Amino acid sequence: MIPEDTVVDPMYFVVLATILFSIGAVAVLLRRNAIVALLGVELMLNASNLLFVAFARSHRDVSGQALAFFVMVVAAAEVVVGLALIITLFRSRQTISLDEPMDLRG
Amino acid sequence: MGEQELFWVMSPVIVLASLTLLFARKAVYVLAGMIVVMIGLAVFYVTLEAPFLGMIQVIVYTGAIMMLILFVLMLVGVDQKESLRETIRGQRWIALAAATGLVVLIVTTVYRIELPIRDIGGMNDGGNPQVIANALFGEWVLVMEILGLVLISAAVSAIVLTHLPRSGDRRSQAERAEERVRARLNPVNKPMPGVYARRNALDVPAIDPEGKPVPASISRVLKARKQDKDGSEWRAIGKDEAAE
Amino acid sequence: MTFESPIIEWAPLAPVLIVFAAAVLGIVIETADPKVWIRRRLQVALALVATLAAAATAALQWSVLDGDGTRVVVDRIICDRHSLIWMVMIAVFAALAILLFSSRVGGDDAFAPLAAAAPGSEEEREASEKGLAQTEVFPLALFSVGGMMLFTMVSDTLILFIVLELISLPLYVLVALSRRRRLLSQEAALKYFLMGAFASAVYLFGAALIYGGAFSTSFTIIDTAIVQYHGREALVLVGTVLALVGLLFKLGAVPFHAWTPDAYQGAPTPVTAFMAAATKAAAVAALIRFLYLAVHRFEWEIAPVLWTIAIATMLVGTVAAIVQTDIKRMLAYSSIAHGGFVLVAVTSFEREALSAAVFYMLAYGLATLGAFAVVGQVREVTKDGSLGAEATRLGQWAGLGRRSPWMATAMAVFLLSFAGIPLTAGFIGKYVAFKAAFDSGGWPLVVVAVLAAVVAVFFYVRVIVLMFLTPVPEDLKDAVEVTESTGPSLVVGITALATVLLGVVPSVVLDLASNAAILVP
Repeated sequence: MIPEDTVVDPMYFVVLATILFSIGAVAVLLRRNAIVALLGVELMLNASNLLFVAFARSHRDVSGQALAFFVMVVAAAEVVVGLALIITLFRSRQTISLDEPMDLRG
Repeated sequence: MGEQELFWVMSPVIVLASLTLLFARKAVYVLAGMIVVMIGLAVFYVTLEAPFLGMIQVIVYTGAIMMLILFVLMLVGVDQKESLRETIRGQRWIALAAATGLVVLIVTTVYRIELPIRDIGGMNDGGNPQVIANALFGEWVLVMEILGLVLISAAVSAIVLTHLPRSGDRRSQAERAEERVRARLNPVNKPMPGVYARRNALDVPAIDPEGKPVPASISRVLKARKQDKDGSEWRAIGKDEAAE
Repeated sequence: MTFESPIIEWAPLAPVLIVFAAAVLGIVIETADPKVWIRRRLQVALALVATLAAAATAALQWSVLDGDGTRVVVDRIICDRHSLIWMVMIAVFAALAILLFSSRVGGDDAFAPLAAAAPGSEEEREASEKGLAQTEVFPLALFSVGGMMLFTMVSDTLILFIVLELISLPLYVLVALSRRRRLLSQEAALKYFLMGAFASAVYLFGAALIYGGAFSTSFTIIDTAIVQYHGREALVLVGTVLALVGLLFKLGAVPFHAWTPDAYQGAPTPVTAFMAAATKAAAVAALIRFLYLAVHRFEWEIAPVLWTIAIATMLVGTVAAIVQTDIKRMLAYSSIAHGGFVLVAVTSFEREALSAAVFYMLAYGLATLGAFAVVGQVREVTKDGSLGAEATRLGQWAGLGRRSPWMATAMAVFLLSFAGIPLTAGFIGKYVAFKAAFDSGGWPLVVVAVLAAVVAVFFYVRVIVLMFLTPVPEDLKDAVEVTESTGPSLVVGITALATVLLGVVPSVVLDLASNAAILVP
């Protein structure tokens, strides 16, 4: 169907996904705004999805696409719980910064 | 445009947009950047012979998840300040070094690997959504059922954390209006900003029949931010006109 | 294109299905919204019956199992003797934890009456006066329990991810629901959530890389792919390391332990007990399955990583526990150290390690449940004479032996078991764990482990000395009270008895565990 020499090597997608994953991971570790940290996790999950889809194509295995679909559903559930926690904390503390003097000692 | 050109055009866009996660001060900009990333990934999914996932990516991720996050961002206030002060000294450099290390590790790993692209075609015979449906409800049906449980527990969790049941009886509109009249409060709605004034921007107070501005017509939020105007310059009859 | 209906053996899933059905039924009860006291009784009864029935069903399946195991879904979900013994253990822990969940101390349970109301607000006061209760905690806990039981059977990297989320999502919320010190609890939950989500994202990226290298997510196929696909196994190896991060996070191994003390301290104490006992057991079970079935051919590459992590975990857990002044934080660091001890056995890649890990987690889980049950009973007394928050400062525990000899004695038994003193379950657990590592040539690891265990004895004994040999300080005479409510006392009694029995006559359980040392690929 598609001529083979125009196809992008899946390894390029691996590199792209790794870059996205690393940016997301650094954001989770460094940003102090809880919503931005949550977005960092989302980017990490999306990087994995890109891998699943790219590998699914090169393996000719539609399972990879099913896996990416599952991950999207799980990500949606995770966001719901995360946002609920953020709202709860905001109601009690009027801020969502992870930097405010935490009552917890390290 | 060929697939390779598309890759080289889209991937810098995606990476640049995702960098907002690290460098944008305001959470809204980060969210906007993430939306670009999501749509970019959807484009990739379509070219990677996964048109169904491409659509789902736009509908579910961009349309639902990102918008949900946007709502919450608006709810908790877009003005949340974020200090970029480090909590642990040198944390920034450790994290950046670890991330760079991971990228280098993966690049050197995949540098030597060749994944055969076995005869292109054949994967989506019969239509991509149909093939995926077959996988979801055939081989992976048990996972679909587990996902149902995940969704139930997430929904219940969110309700437990955020739902406040109404305490006390609900008063009808008539009762509330009566109360206001009894208390000699303004029985009607407050005027909208800009009514009878020369402009109807949100920060311009309405003008009452005597030509005086009505401060109550401006949103409390604008006042708190000191973004409201006193209205004198937007009166229906301005100073110079009155002089004539 | 034709649809092939999948082949699923439903029978071995029965214990898990019972728990999930009870959880869904619990949600249905919530939607019907009966009066609080009816709802509470229904939920508690349902949860207890479900967990006990699940344990009984799993035990029954063990006795009628023909051969080593059944493939529920070929290559993806396997029910063998090893997963059955973990399932029984997790269900029993869950039943004990549910007893703690449902117990009331001074008329209040451990959970916020209305979680959505802000701390200190008018709504919260009103809800508390009306005697509301957040009974959704029982179905939520059941979802988590069902996930943990399923976790022990999963032989597929992606299903493992989804079940991991099923376990974690309810836990994040349960952590946020403490009745007292609510801000602390909510902060702990958000922190736990962000770190947990981060760890599972790292795991997922690893699973995706493994899928790229091995063409499959099934443990069995990954195992053969490592040998067959020369050149691509590097991708699998990098993926394996990333995936291990996610699993070690759940176990609380250093350097992925930072969430443990905060989450354990902030969470309502029954939830802490549940997390510490059941979640850890499930994490160890899944870690074993992943390591032994999918990537054991990488033993040479990943063993040094695991050794380093095991050593760091034991040392950090032990040293940090010494300096803690809060009993919940001390137990949290001690649980980190225990994660390190069980890793010592797991990293040996020997068959013996399977039974050792089972016994170790059983001994640790029983003592942990008991210890946190005692922690929930030691209360501060507020100025107006009512019971307040838990008295978790170590100073407040001085002279506990005079206040309540039974509770203090039981606590001493649990602490001695943690320390690994002979005649307690902890001793046998440590012995079999270290022996498995020693036999496979891991003696340097065992030396470090024994040293850490000896140092750890110090802070466990310190608490015992505090409880029995230190007099009650004058100013704290009326400020602390030990309640002896039925539910927690029952849990304390059962776990203390089991801890001693396992220490004195371990052979029955040891035999069962070594029967279970079989993994069906």
